[in-house]
Amino acid sequence: MKVTLEVDVLTNNNRAAEFNRRLFEETKTLVINLMSSPGAGKTTILEKTIEALSKDFRIGVIEGDLATEKDAERIRALGAQAVQINTHGGCHLDARMIAAVLPQFDLSEIDLLFIENVGNLVCPSGYDLGQQHKVAVLSVPEGNDKIPKYPTMFMRTELVLLNKIDLLPYLDFDVEQAKDDLKGINPQSSLIPLSAKTNEGMDQWLNWIREGIARCKNQ
Amino acid sequence: MHEMALMGEIVRLIEQDATKRNIDAVTKVELIVGALSNALPEALEMAFDAYKLQKDNRLTEDAQLIIHFERAKAFCPICEEEYEPQSRLVQCPSCMLPSGQIIAGETFRVLSYEGSSTS
Repeated sequence: MKVTLEVDVLTNNNRAAEFNRRLFEETKTLVINLMSSPGAGKTTILEKTIEALSKDFRIGVIEGDLATEKDAERIRALGAQAVQINTHGGCHLDARMIAAVLPQFDLSEIDLLFIENVGNLVCPSGYDLGQQHKVAVLSVPEGNDKIPKYPTMFMRTELVLLNKIDLLPYLDFDVEQAKDDLKGINPQSSLIPLSAKTNEGMDQWLNWIREGIARCKNQ
Repeated sequence: MHEMALMGEIVRLIEQDATKRNIDAVTKVELIVGALSNALPEALEMAFDAYKLQKDNRLTEDAQLIIHFERAKAFCPICEEEYEPQSRLVQCPSCMLPSGQIIAGETFRVLSYEGSSTS
């Protein structure tokens, strides 16, 4: 007997993502799914972002890692609520994992929720978590070739944070080339060069978030 | 090895459907896998072989996996031409502008499966 299914492989994930999305809309929580390769600086960017915005907004973080609570501990040290998901070898977060930890947050009391995905430029890009925004972090030591080499990540993100620009004088990274490559993959995406270490460029990112929260509250 | 997790999704979708139909032996699965879907056909085949040997699903030990590969395709509205995108996905090779729209290659679907009821 042949059964025609014609269903998307990620059907179950997408259903869970819709559930999450509705919840975020109801509670007017801005949710950002932050993705990058390991070591690009996601957690450091989050630390600096929380330091700068925690006066004005209530912030929560879901941390995705294969193992350890290290990243969640760094976030908690700043006074923000952080829940760690350990994927035990899994290379990405999926929407069901997010749905499972959401009850640990009082979302109506949270303005901004970051989901720090597992460090990986491939797998996380395909999974909708129910977030409003997908943001990729790329750091300059990774090299100019990463945008064209990982198109499925950059075609699905709307913003790229180009981190560690304080290292530009020591490297051959070409910022204009990166902007140009990004345009060739996803013309709608923008790029913010910044350094989470020196705070250069951080204001533009913080304003992008502030505008996002304002839009989210007015919906 | 994210194809293992993806094959887990595929097996679960088939299990859900087969339960409803009382199908307890699945002998063939057909997928369509796009070039931009982040799934490698070879790795999916390896994952399928691993799932066939597990006893907690209905795949038979000699079940067949058929993968229909979908090439990436983009359309440039300026040149009104289709092209196969390379690393700069939306750059049209004729006008060189980032004007293309991806029209194929993102698909990742379970088309069908075959099975029977032994009871």
